[in-house]
Order: sequence, then C-alpha cells, then structure tokens
Amino acid sequence: MSEQPGRTAQEIVDRLEASLSLRARVRAVTALLAGGLGAAFLSLLWLTEPAPLPGRTRLAFALFILICLAWAGYGALLLTRKVVLFATDQVVAAWIAVAASATTTGLLAVIAAERGTGLWPVLAVGGAFVAVSGALAVRAHARRAGLLRRRHELTRRARA
Amino acid sequence: MTDELLVVRAQLGERDALAELVGRWRLPVWTYVRRMLDAERADDVAQEVWLAVVRGLPRLREPDRFTPWLFTIARRSVADRLRGEYADRSEQLVSDGTTVADPVEAMVDRAVLVGALAALPVPEREVLVLFHLEDLSLADCAQICGVPVGTVKSRLNRARRMLREHLERGVGDE
Repeated sequence: MSEQPGRTAQEIVDRLEASLSLRARVRAVTALLAGGLGAAFLSLLWLTEPAPLPGRTRLAFALFILICLAWAGYGALLLTRKVVLFATDQVVAAWIAVAASATTTGLLAVIAAERGTGLWPVLAVGGAFVAVSGALAVRAHARRAGLLRRRHELTRRARA
Repeated sequence: MTDELLVVRAQLGERDALAELVGRWRLPVWTYVRRMLDAERADDVAQEVWLAVVRGLPRLREPDRFTPWLFTIARRSVADRLRGEYADRSEQLVSDGTTVADPVEAMVDRAVLVGALAALPVPEREVLVLFHLEDLSLADCAQICGVPVGTVKSRLNRARRMLREHLERGVGDE
C-alpha cells in the first residue's frame, strides 16, 4: 500500500493547538471564575443593601449580573467543548478557584458586617463556593497523585 | 516506552508524551479511517479523531485500554460520515462460537486484502480492518464496535467469505 497520510505527526499536533495552548486554558478558567464569582459578588452586594435601591440602580445590578453569568457560561463552554485541562492543570485551576472564592467571600463578609445586614446569606453562598472548589481541588490532587504513582511504577518496570 | 506510560504522562500534561503518542498511532488511525472512507476525507477525519482523543484523554480511566478506546473514537468519527451504511442488520452468529481457520486467510496477503476491502459492506469491512490490519483482539474489536464477540466472529466469517468470492471472481475474470 503506497498511500500515506497527508499530515505528519507534528502537523496533527500543531492543529490541536487551539485545545492545548496555555493561553486558551487560562482564558477559559479566568472567564469561568471571574464570571461566576462576579455574579455571586454582585448578587450578594445587592441583597445586602440596607435600603431598597432605586429602579435604575436595580436594573444596572441585574444587567451586570447577566453579563457576569454570560462570561461564566462562555468559560464553561470553553472548558467543556474547546480546551483541555490535564491533571496538573486541574490542580492549578482548582486552587485558583479556592483562592478566588475565599477572597470574594471574605470581602463580601466584611462589607455585609459593616452594613450590619445579610452576613449569613454571604457566608452561606460564599461557603458553598469555597466548599465546592475545595472538593474539586481534593479530587484533582487525588487524580494527579494516582497518575504520578502509576507513572513511577511503569517507569520502574520499564527500566527493570 | 509502553503506550500506557505515554498515556499516563500525557494525562499529567506532558506535551512531549502526547506528541509521541500521536506519532506512534498516527498511521494505524489513518489506515483505519482510510480503509473505511475515501482518500479525500481520510486526513480530516483522522484529525477529528485526534481532537476527540485529546479532549477525552483527561477522562480516560484505564490507560492500559488505550488502543480499544482510541479505535472506539475513530469508529465514532467514521460512523458520523457513514450514517445510513451502518443500518441495523440481523446477525447470524456462528454455531460453534469459534472463528474457523480459513484457507483464504493464509493465502491472501495484506495488499490484496486492502484492495478488496472497498467492495465489502461497512460492518464487515470494519471488523476485517480492525482484526487483520490493526491486529486487535476479538474482544477489543467487539468493544470498539459495541457488539458481542460472537457477532464479531460472524462478521469476520462473512467478510472472509465475501472476500473469497470477490477474489475468485477476480481470478475468473483474468
């Protein structure tokens, strides 16, 4: 059979760059986290307002929250359909999520405490974000540790 | 270095391992795709296969089962292009459950096999490609095609019979 593939291995890998590039992965994680936490931040800020807001301000809050949700959706779409997070990337992404969730929750808790209203909703929602991202970090670590163990075993077996 | 080690390293995010994996399996994947589709589509579909492989790699739980997983993805990409030709068919299982040694198998070399493959229906062609050209086991072929091992055996027997008829016709025409 004289027929051969039209693309070399390097050409195939080059064409996978859109899914593998660091920039694409950072963009996807940033969009998801910034959008999700931004929406949570604005929602809780709105809810903890001590006095009812004027109509225009409420409309502005709602629009900003929608924009944040759109960014979160875009990030989620990129992560599920476009870019690839390997085991090490997942660990990094999960810790970024923990840090961002904890910072946002802390910031909102301070604001809520100063205003003297809505502290418990802030702690509940923020705590849920921190708990979910923490669980993802634990799972990502366990997965990476399992792969590292397997790599070590297979490397040792190959040398023996 | 074994495939499993390469897969594990690629799952950890090592780009050179991924590149080596692509280099190692580029030709088998392309050969399968090319035997199932025409030359114009083979390169693009093979690229689609690699894209799906890269996206699915972090979720692969059994790195030692990389080969059947890879060809399952390749088969899905091919099936997307051949919709309709994979029509539901009633399968006649071989009665004794074994694949009988076929004299044709011993006589026909790979080049002749490749030439005659295009004449076979898709289900028979794919098991023949997987079993003979890709050297996969019956169990792996069954997993890739999503059918029982008995069905793979019956398809293989039918494919050999059709191949034999095709070759005999070719000899008779000369």
